[in-house]
Amino acid sequence: MDGSAGSVLDGAIKWGVAVDLKRCTGCQACTIACKSENGTPPGVFWTRVLEKEEGTYPFAYKVFMPLRCNHCADPPCVPVCPTGASYQRENDNLVLVDQDKCIGCHSCVVACPYQVRFIPGNARGYYGKHKTPYEDVSYRGWQVGTAQKCTLCVHRIDEGLEPACVETCPTKTLVFGDLNDPDSEISELVRQRENFQPRAELGTDPCVFYLT
Amino acid sequence: MMQRFNTELSRQQEWSWLLAIWLSMGGSGSGLFLLYLILDLPHAFGLLALGTVLLGGTVLLIELGNPLRVWRTVYRPGTSWLSRGVLFVSFFLFTGILSLVPSIGEASWLSSDSGTAVGLHWIAGLCALMITLYPGFFLSANRAIPFWNTRLLPPLFLGFSLLGGSGLVLLFSALLETGPSKILILAAVLIVVNLVMVFVYFLSKGRSNAPARESVRLLIGLPLGWVFWVGVVAVGMVLPLIAVISLPSTATAAGAAILLGGLLFRYCILKAAVFVPPALVAGGQDFSKLNRNSNDLEREYAGIAAGGTGGGR
Repeated sequence: MDGSAGSVLDGAIKWGVAVDLKRCTGCQACTIACKSENGTPPGVFWTRVLEKEEGTYPFAYKVFMPLRCNHCADPPCVPVCPTGASYQRENDNLVLVDQDKCIGCHSCVVACPYQVRFIPGNARGYYGKHKTPYEDVSYRGWQVGTAQKCTLCVHRIDEGLEPACVETCPTKTLVFGDLNDPDSEISELVRQRENFQPRAELGTDPCVFYLT
Repeated sequence: MMQRFNTELSRQQEWSWLLAIWLSMGGSGSGLFLLYLILDLPHAFGLLALGTVLLGGTVLLIELGNPLRVWRTVYRPGTSWLSRGVLFVSFFLFTGILSLVPSIGEASWLSSDSGTAVGLHWIAGLCALMITLYPGFFLSANRAIPFWNTRLLPPLFLGFSLLGGSGLVLLFSALLETGPSKILILAAVLIVVNLVMVFVYFLSKGRSNAPARESVRLLIGLPLGWVFWVGVVAVGMVLPLIAVISLPSTATAAGAAILLGGLLFRYCILKAAVFVPPALVAGGQDFSKLNRNSNDLEREYAGIAAGGTGGGR
């Protein structure tokens, strides 16, 4: 894995994801892998693939855009939090939520320009009130009425693994790594390929780069 | 919260009536407290102001996902307007109640004309001013919603708070010792000023970017047009304006209409908020190069099958 836990430069790691829009087929494998890994409730997708039609008939085609928390260098969701529940890790740029501190005020959900924060109103599973054994276990990772979001699979990153969505992607659309490491694959891709950061004009400095 | 998989413009769905009720009651209550100080109204209006803010704050607690943790909200006044707002409300209630103690009964340790009581009055007044302003600062700091992201919001919220305060005075005008003539003039002036501010706000946002224009369209057309034109403009402003100018005997009804309009105004501002769209619909992006023919795809996937990472890169 490029940019694994050891690739520290200037004392800080800046985890990022490069998304090759030329490769994405909109298969939603990342969406399902994320749900499977993190056990999110119905209607909540920490990552998902947006679809958009381009061109006009007969030259119409679809473009796909995998979307997740951008773990921005200047995240608008963190300063609005009145309790400090939303925070950015000191040793890297991961934006996380301390669910024990969250009061569920929705400020961070509304402040996020990427609409990738969620506050589940209940703990119902995919089959109604009765949760499956898997849901029973995975739902212990979050609390009803508090904010939740993509952690970039922090539990996997800290063990030297890639996020589940990146590992699952069958077309290698997603590349994960340390943006502060000039030798990482992601840094090379960002240097070599045309790319854009989503809504960079808002000053959030997102750590997701879309390669076009 | 169901997530969308398309790229259409979407409205914020998190805040609705409960927050609108808080913004309305908090604003009207704090506006009333300012009028109570400035116009030297009877103490009953000071108490009414405190009660209104307290009741509104209780409604706000229901909005929270975890209301029992509300004490944690005072931790981030350096960055969070919500945290500042909680502190303003807390100080307002604390100093306001203390400053009004002498008016309720005998308090040997605090007389109404003592420097301490006067000081507490003005500290409470300053906090009330900040309660009228902070929702505007809170919403206008949001970079994700262009309709809110404007310096016009704080003065607009101040204007509607003072109007709500005058509405409360008119609603309870029976408590006034000298009649509501001063308040009727003030309410008329505030209605006109607020109408002008709303017009300028909509004009500026109507000429702004696509999400802001969509917000204005939602408000002046469907689905929020009925609430805005009938509730905010007609019931909340035009009818009260006619009433306070030509029918002073209907002051109580005018006060109720002003308060209803103020509530609906906050509701409209919250519900018309449209997010910036995903980057996929950002202007200036040329996606035509993503439309590859089968030969390109075959070459690319052959590279992947061979185990390379640079097949299509």
